[in-house]
Amino acid sequence: MLTKKQNLLETIRGGKPDRFVNQYEAFDCSPSAPFGMIFSDPVMDASARPVIGGPPVKDSWGVTKAWPANVPGAFPVHDQEHKVIKDITQWEKVVKAPTLDYPQSEWDKCKAAQLEGIDRNELFVTVFGAPGIFEQVHYLMGMDDCLIAFYEEPEAMKELINFITEWKLKYAKLVCDNFAPEVIFQHDDWGSHKSSFLSPDMFEEFLLEPYKKWYGYYRQRGVQIIAHHNDAYSANLVPAMIEMGIDIWQGCVSTNNVSELIKKYGGKISFMGDIDNGLVDREDWTQELVAKHVRRACEENGKLYFIPCITQGGKGAVYDGVYDAISVEIDKMSKEMFK
Amino acid sequence: MAKIDEVKEQVIIGKTKIVPGLVQEALDEGSVAKDILQAMIDGMKVVGDRFSAGEIFVPEMLIAAKAMAKGVEVLKPHLAADASTSLGTCVIGTVEGDLHDIGKNLVSMMIGSAGFDMVDLGVDQAPDKFIAAIKNNQNVKLVACSALLTTTLPALKKTVDAIRESGLSGFKIIVGGAPVTQKFADEIGADAYAPDAGAAAEKAKAIVAA
Repeated sequence: MLTKKQNLLETIRGGKPDRFVNQYEAFDCSPSAPFGMIFSDPVMDASARPVIGGPPVKDSWGVTKAWPANVPGAFPVHDQEHKVIKDITQWEKVVKAPTLDYPQSEWDKCKAAQLEGIDRNELFVTVFGAPGIFEQVHYLMGMDDCLIAFYEEPEAMKELINFITEWKLKYAKLVCDNFAPEVIFQHDDWGSHKSSFLSPDMFEEFLLEPYKKWYGYYRQRGVQIIAHHNDAYSANLVPAMIEMGIDIWQGCVSTNNVSELIKKYGGKISFMGDIDNGLVDREDWTQELVAKHVRRACEENGKLYFIPCITQGGKGAVYDGVYDAISVEIDKMSKEMFK
Repeated sequence: MAKIDEVKEQVIIGKTKIVPGLVQEALDEGSVAKDILQAMIDGMKVVGDRFSAGEIFVPEMLIAAKAMAKGVEVLKPHLAADASTSLGTCVIGTVEGDLHDIGKNLVSMMIGSAGFDMVDLGVDQAPDKFIAAIKNNQNVKLVACSALLTTTLPALKKTVDAIRESGLSGFKIIVGGAPVTQKFADEIGADAYAPDAGAAAEKAKAIVAA
């Protein structure tokens, strides 16, 4: 039997996996961390995070985030008072990148807490990253202003994106120096359920090169797999994803027609998801409902270049039991399809 | 091309700096304000249809709506006395427990561009906020409720139930959001469901006219 790590590599390289990769199993290297991936470092820990039901806080980029008690996650606050960038042409005056200057002793503490004990034979050393470049831009200015500014102030947007990218490259160096990750699991949502936010042309104009630079750096530093979370429709962006160096697109929701994407792009990129939270992670979920969706995903997409997975960007689900129920059904499908 | 047609074309391609001047030129040429507004509404219908068909994306829709808003600013003094240009008031909001606003904002812009006066409650709105807005605003013809999470589908049902139970009438309810389906909309007793912002504007006009 292949290790979880070997099985994933066989799957994405078009080899001979002996079962389906079961959701996040190969990235689940840090069990006590959120989503089971390496999450804590001095830079990230210094950025305030809102707690559920607590007051809004400002993160290290100055973005105000709130987490009201009755909602499942935190959100940036984008009324006129709280937007960091109110006029994109003046972004340089208001955007201050967080410091990256922390004593090595603080990185060492994070290394000790998260790297020790990882079964490197079985699991990838996986570092979780969020937000992505696009998300950082709209966190700073609000989505509507951001999307309009791509048209109205393209040069200023490119400058801001470049500024964020340069910061991310410096941060990536620290991550590589200290954690030597094998996998980067990076978030950046690029669309809604039905369409990408940007046209492919606009996406390429603004985001392709920055991402090539960023992900290229990780690759140069020995990262084996770039897994990118984007739980949206983005089938039209797959060529750009391939060009920027993404190995696994996690979060590909069913509206993307994943089986078609595998036929078209399998071998250049792999697809992880196709079990939509919207379909299975519901108050009224049942094992039968989960089984139905897992079966469809596995049968339609097959054994290669596909990892059946809940589409959310990390291990877990909103409703208790759903994630584990999916795992059980994937194991059943493995027994059936990998005889 | 007649100025009024130019207004429509420039709205479709989102020329925010050009549309106000063109609207003024159309007025100067003697076009009726209501007709110019209709040309812009027609332009936004084209935008909505192209968005629904996947031919254009959110930024294109946003700049078109912004171009129309700039044109409406020029038209406003000429429209003020003519209430018949409005299709009525639409109260819109994202339901309690849900902070998503992108889709709701797009729907609000498109329904507004179709000729409704918008009252946007924002996100995380309890049922009583919708009911209060229906009571406190004149000529409410449409209530639009958005939910983006499976966790807030029950809140969508609760909102529709509460609005129905309030005894208020004279308006239709339209619902939408990623996890919402026509089947779910039917189950909770909404009058209409729209899968995207372009379709929402068309559905809104249709159900209010019915």
